[in-house]
This record gives sequence, C-alpha cells and structure tokens, in this order.
Amino acid sequence: MAGKLAIIDYVILAAYLIGTVALGLAIGRRIKTGKDFFLAGKSLPWWAVGMSLVATDIGGTDIIGVGGAAYSHGLAVGNFEWIGCVPAMIVGAFIFIPIFWRLGIYTIPEYMEKRFNVGTRSALAVTWLIFMACNLGIMLFASAKMMNVLFGWDETACVFLTAALVGVYTLAGGLAAVVYTDVLQCAVMIGGCLLALIIGINDLGGVGGMLESIREIEAAKDLPEGQMTDLILPADADTPFPWTGILFGLALILSPAYWIGNQAIVQRSLGAKSEFAAKASYIWGALLKNLIPVIVAVPGLIALAKFPELADGDKAFPTLVAELFPAGLRGLFLAAFIAALMSSVDSYLNASATIVTNDFYKRFFNPQASDTRLLTVGRIVTAVLLAWAIGFAFIIAKIEGMGIYAIFQTLMAFFQGPALALILTGLLWQRANGKGAFLGFIGGVCFSIALYALSQEGVQKALGMQPLFKVPAPFLFYSIWAFVVSLALIAIVSLATPPESDEKLKNVVWHFKKGATE
Amino acid sequence: MTPLHLIGEFFRNLTVAIPLGVVRLLFLALLIGLLVWVLRLPKAETTPPDGSGKPTENLKLWAGLALGAQILIYAFV
Repeated sequence: MAGKLAIIDYVILAAYLIGTVALGLAIGRRIKTGKDFFLAGKSLPWWAVGMSLVATDIGGTDIIGVGGAAYSHGLAVGNFEWIGCVPAMIVGAFIFIPIFWRLGIYTIPEYMEKRFNVGTRSALAVTWLIFMACNLGIMLFASAKMMNVLFGWDETACVFLTAALVGVYTLAGGLAAVVYTDVLQCAVMIGGCLLALIIGINDLGGVGGMLESIREIEAAKDLPEGQMTDLILPADADTPFPWTGILFGLALILSPAYWIGNQAIVQRSLGAKSEFAAKASYIWGALLKNLIPVIVAVPGLIALAKFPELADGDKAFPTLVAELFPAGLRGLFLAAFIAALMSSVDSYLNASATIVTNDFYKRFFNPQASDTRLLTVGRIVTAVLLAWAIGFAFIIAKIEGMGIYAIFQTLMAFFQGPALALILTGLLWQRANGKGAFLGFIGGVCFSIALYALSQEGVQKALGMQPLFKVPAPFLFYSIWAFVVSLALIAIVSLATPPESDEKLKNVVWHFKKGATE
Repeated sequence: MTPLHLIGEFFRNLTVAIPLGVVRLLFLALLIGLLVWVLRLPKAETTPPDGSGKPTENLKLWAGLALGAQILIYAFV
C-alpha cells in the first residue's frame, strides 16, 4: 500500500493542508476577545454554520467507521445519518436552538444553570468534557490507522502530525477558524467521498452489479436476503442495528441528545449572526445530511462486493481507495479523509476548551475575568487538551477487538440519554426543578454504566447470569434505558419538591406559562 | 433470570411480534408527523424578521424538502 501514492497525490494533499492552515491562521489575526474565540463574535452566516455542522459530525471515525460498519453489517448503519440526524436537526432548528441563541449562552451546561442549578451545570459539563476529551484521542487514532493502511506511515507520527495541523489554526482562530475551515473541509470531504462512490459503482458495473454481488455474499454467509441493504432490520436480527434500537435508541434519544445537546455541535449555531441564521443553519445541515450515507455507507458495500474476505471492516474504505483509485485521486480522497478528521477534531477541541474556560475557570475561579483574559485562558486550555488527546490516542491503540465506531457510540450512550432527559424536561416541562434534574442525570448515567458492566462477558460469568441484550454492542439500548430512568427520576423528584419560580423560568422554557407550576 | 432480564424479555417479545411492514409505517408516521408540524408552524417562526417575503426565505420549504427526501428513503429502502 505504501508504494501506491504518487508525487501528484502528495502535491494535492499538501495543497489542501497548507490551504486549510493558512485560512485558519488568517482568521486568527482578527481574534481579540473571548467572545471572538468561543462564539466567533456572533458573526457567522447560516451557510457556513450548516456546512460546519455536517463537517463536524462526519469525522474520520465516520468515513472509516460507517464504511466499516456498512461492510460488516450492511446499509442499516445509514440510519445514523438519516433518521438519526434529519428529524432532530429540524426539531432543534425550530424549538431549541432559537432559545439557546437568544439567551446568549456559550455552552449547554451554562443553560442548565440558568434553568436548574450549578450542580446540574457542573455534572453535565464534567461528562461532556470527559466524552469530548476521549473522543479527541479516538479521532486521532482513527486518522493514524487510515494513514498507516494507505501510506504505511508510522501511526505515532500520524497522531502528532494531525494534532499539530489542527492545533495551529484552532489555537489561533477559535470557533471562526474552525467553522470556515470546516466549510472548505466539507466541500473536499463530500467531493472525495462522492468520487469513491462513482469509481466504485462504475467498477462493479453499476448499482445492479453491486447488488448482485451483495446478494451472493448474503447467501454465502447464510444471511437473510436483504439484510445487507435494508434500512429496517428485525428486532431479533444478528446485527447491532435492529429497528428497535434505531427508532427508540437512535432517532428518539441519541440523535436529539446529539443535535440539541452536544456542545461541539450546538456551539457553531450559537455563533450565528442572527436567530434566523441559527435556525437556517440547522435546516441547511439537514438537507446536506440526506446525501451523507450515500457517499459514506455505500462505499462500504462496494468494498464488501469487491473484497469480501477482509478481516477488519475498518480497512474497507482504505482498501477500496488504495486498490481502485488512480494516482492523483488517491491524494484527493486522502485530503477528504483528513478534512473530515480535522473538521471534527477542531470542533471538539474548541468546544471542550469552551467548557473548561466558561463552565469551570470563569464560573468557579475567576468570575470577573475580562474577555481578553478568557481568550488567553481558552488558548492555554486548547493546548493542554491537545496534549491529552495525543496521549489518549496511544491508549486507544492498545484496545483490541472493538471497531472504532462501537467505541465511540458506547461512550456516547453512557450519558446522552440522561443529557437528553435534562434538555427535554428543562425546555419543555416547567415543573422540572433543579433537584430532580441533578438526581435524574446522575442516576441515569450510573444506570447506563451498570448496564454496560453487566453486559461484559467476564461479569456475566462471575455473576452466573445470562446476557441482558441479545445484540452485539448494544449501545443503543443503554441510551434508551438510561433515558427512561433519568426521565422517571427527574419527574418523581421534581414533583416531590418545590417548583422553580416564574421569574427564573420565563426566558428559559419553550412556551412559558405564568403561574403554571403553582 | 433477574428482573432486568424479565423486563427485557417482555419488550423483546413484544417488538419481535410486530411485522416489519408495520415498523416501516411507524418510521414513516414519525417523519410525516414531523412534516405536518413544520408546515403548520407560524410564519414568524420560519421567516427572517427583515425578509423580503420571498418563498425561498421561508424555512418551511427547505425543512419540507429535507423531510420529503427522508420519507422517500424510508418508504423504499
């Protein structure tokens, strides 16, 4: 594989990387305050925010992971980009995002203090920070794996190179640099993946040829016909994506929790120049999302049709590119992959720095900090988080037997259900109060971790119990049950304790009704 | 079997019994319901306050397009 890159591939890749870093540094010259760094001075146009939403969401983990999951489990993984994104983005656009934008908040945990209390804010901030910091390491590891397959490059060097490139412009330009480089990255990513789709389909003799090969593979593996191409799979199918998990876990819980509660996602809309621009950005992102599974998941099926004996599904997309792409186009695809990776790493880096600076430093250590001071602190925190991400990438490299996508989804499942319960009750149910919110969130997270622990083979053997779930990697079900438990706890504790005052609630709930909680 | 197993088994048996055709209708109902809600939103919530009144400035059009694509996908894939 290492010998398959020509000089033209390197030229294209270098041009993309230099262009991205230069753009980010140019924007960085205009950053003077914390508001500039964390919210781009609330100056972002809808089209840039929308493309940034998509680019942030589609990371290197998705191109490798979704392609790999499609290779191993079929097109049902496309649910994560379709019903797992579009409905939640549209609901977010018209209900949640306008309220967040109007409040002038920097972070979702900040909203939680306005609505509930500082305990809830801190609990949410800690869990998001842990998740985002770990996710940074996962994303760096994913890039290293891809570059190792394509180039034969040393994985350690790849981790450091990616971190350095992203770190430079994120440190310099904050959210503005992140969003505008995301626009470039989104275009390159969509272009490169579209190329993989077109070349791959053409090589197989068209969509019909691909489907014919898939059916033969289904028969050879003794799978029900259609399992690799259907979106809706039976509840008892041998897949991580049964319809029950997709509808109840993904569409109704994980997806809304992500699109209206994930700091790395929501923060770009908080930087929009107007409330209407914030709404429009989500709608534009939802439109683009319709295209994503076609260009990311279908190439996984193409790889299955071409190379059905790969031992590791995560090698599907890289193998497809290495074997089918001519010189020059490999460089473009590699630029697309790195674009996807960088657009996610920069967003999570900036978002986690925002949470540390806003929800911990400013909130607890220096409430009187000037905007200039916050800019300095934000940049220092960004550098520290980058160092952490590099270290964690090497820890992740030692975990064997799990796909990248499953690791990422499992981490999210621990707290996304409870986080969604907080946001829904916070914005939609006036009677929810701070005590209920805090206990509900903590209880839900503990419950999901307990479910995970009880699903491990070693624990089951030690306790002499049967598996709780009959699907592999049941992360969707952890989030369903954690959400249900959180919601129940929030409701029970809120109803058993005094309500919040009208004065506190009037700008922070949807369709506030005076006196409704008396 | 623990109580967790019994609860899980109950819901598993319930959901396994639902035919896939009905499940597809559930997915479509969710999407169509959301589309109807979007189309019924007041104009003030879907248009810019200083807009020119052009239809293309109304977010209902674009949200409807995004949801329409989803309805087609889940109806046929």
